[in-house]
Amino acid sequence: MRGHFPLTKAIKRAILFFYISHMPKTMDFDFANRVALVTGGSRGIGRAVSMALAERGASVIINYAGNREAAEKTVSDIQTAGGDARAIQADVADTTDVENMFGEIRNGPGRLDILVNNAGILRDKLLMFMSEDDWDRVMDVNIKGLYTCCKSAARLMIGQKYGKIINTTSPSAIVGRAGQTNYAASKAGVIGFTRSLARELARFHVYVNAVCPGMIQTEMLHQLPENVAEEMLEGIAMKRFGTPEEVAGAVLFLASEKSDYITGQVITVDGGLT
Amino acid sequence: MENKNTLISELKTLIIESLQLEDVAPEDIGPDDPLFGNGLGLDSIDALELVVALEKAYGIVIPDEDVGKEAFASLSALADFVARERKSASPE
Repeated sequence: MRGHFPLTKAIKRAILFFYISHMPKTMDFDFANRVALVTGGSRGIGRAVSMALAERGASVIINYAGNREAAEKTVSDIQTAGGDARAIQADVADTTDVENMFGEIRNGPGRLDILVNNAGILRDKLLMFMSEDDWDRVMDVNIKGLYTCCKSAARLMIGQKYGKIINTTSPSAIVGRAGQTNYAASKAGVIGFTRSLARELARFHVYVNAVCPGMIQTEMLHQLPENVAEEMLEGIAMKRFGTPEEVAGAVLFLASEKSDYITGQVITVDGGLT
Repeated sequence: MENKNTLISELKTLIIESLQLEDVAPEDIGPDDPLFGNGLGLDSIDALELVVALEKAYGIVIPDEDVGKEAFASLSALADFVARERKSASPE
């Protein structure tokens, strides 16, 4: 009888392994053979979106402006999980940087199916105390960044006759927020930009939409004064902040073929804030 | 002149294929017909497709609308534009 027990255990394990590996997989979205670029993809919502796309088979390019360490961490986390990712540094507000980044994409994967314009910054000040630099920098990253990235992406996507562009706006654009004239203006701009570009590119099967995340647990949220964050919590129907993964869910939908009849729209992910 | 005629017929095919003009035959496009607006009934957004196709086929870039207007005035104008740009473009 000796040795019998370990043998059955091994057989049991083998049967279990066979069972699990042959279980029908219910993949929610499939991005196999798709190339995605996520701007500001190293941290927060961008990181969650990058991970979620890679997990479902996309080859993900993570763009970052300055935090190389965070970008490399996201890349290695994706690779450890068996996904495909690489990082490219570029300031989205800098035309030359963006042109170089797209040069790498053209010479590398040679196509781009999904562009997630997630890079964005805050420089909250009451207008009376807002410097010109605070104004310009927010506009440069949040709005000019769309001009640069979408312009280069459109070239590739028109040629492919396929593409999904997902921009990021904010409830501030709709309801306004003291201290965010620059940010709210830029994010309202994102909505107009999204609707207009959707009209330009629809006939090439390139669809342009936006997500509108409310209060999400990211570094950006921590930039808000604590009392402001608490006050905001009161206004959220679900009485909790969202997670980056919950925003990624909406991005995945807009990046997938399941949303092929949707363009020029904004999906709000805010737990009932607005 | 021989070269220009070859280029014109090449461009006709490029236009028909890239814009998917299924009911247009190459001989339907006259060398001096306007490409956009009245001629083939194509608009400025259709022109984007041709901008991308020209870049792919000949490596020439149409940077703005003024250049586009000149290049897309007619097939003949487009042939002249492509011939000129190809010559001045440095080989990659």
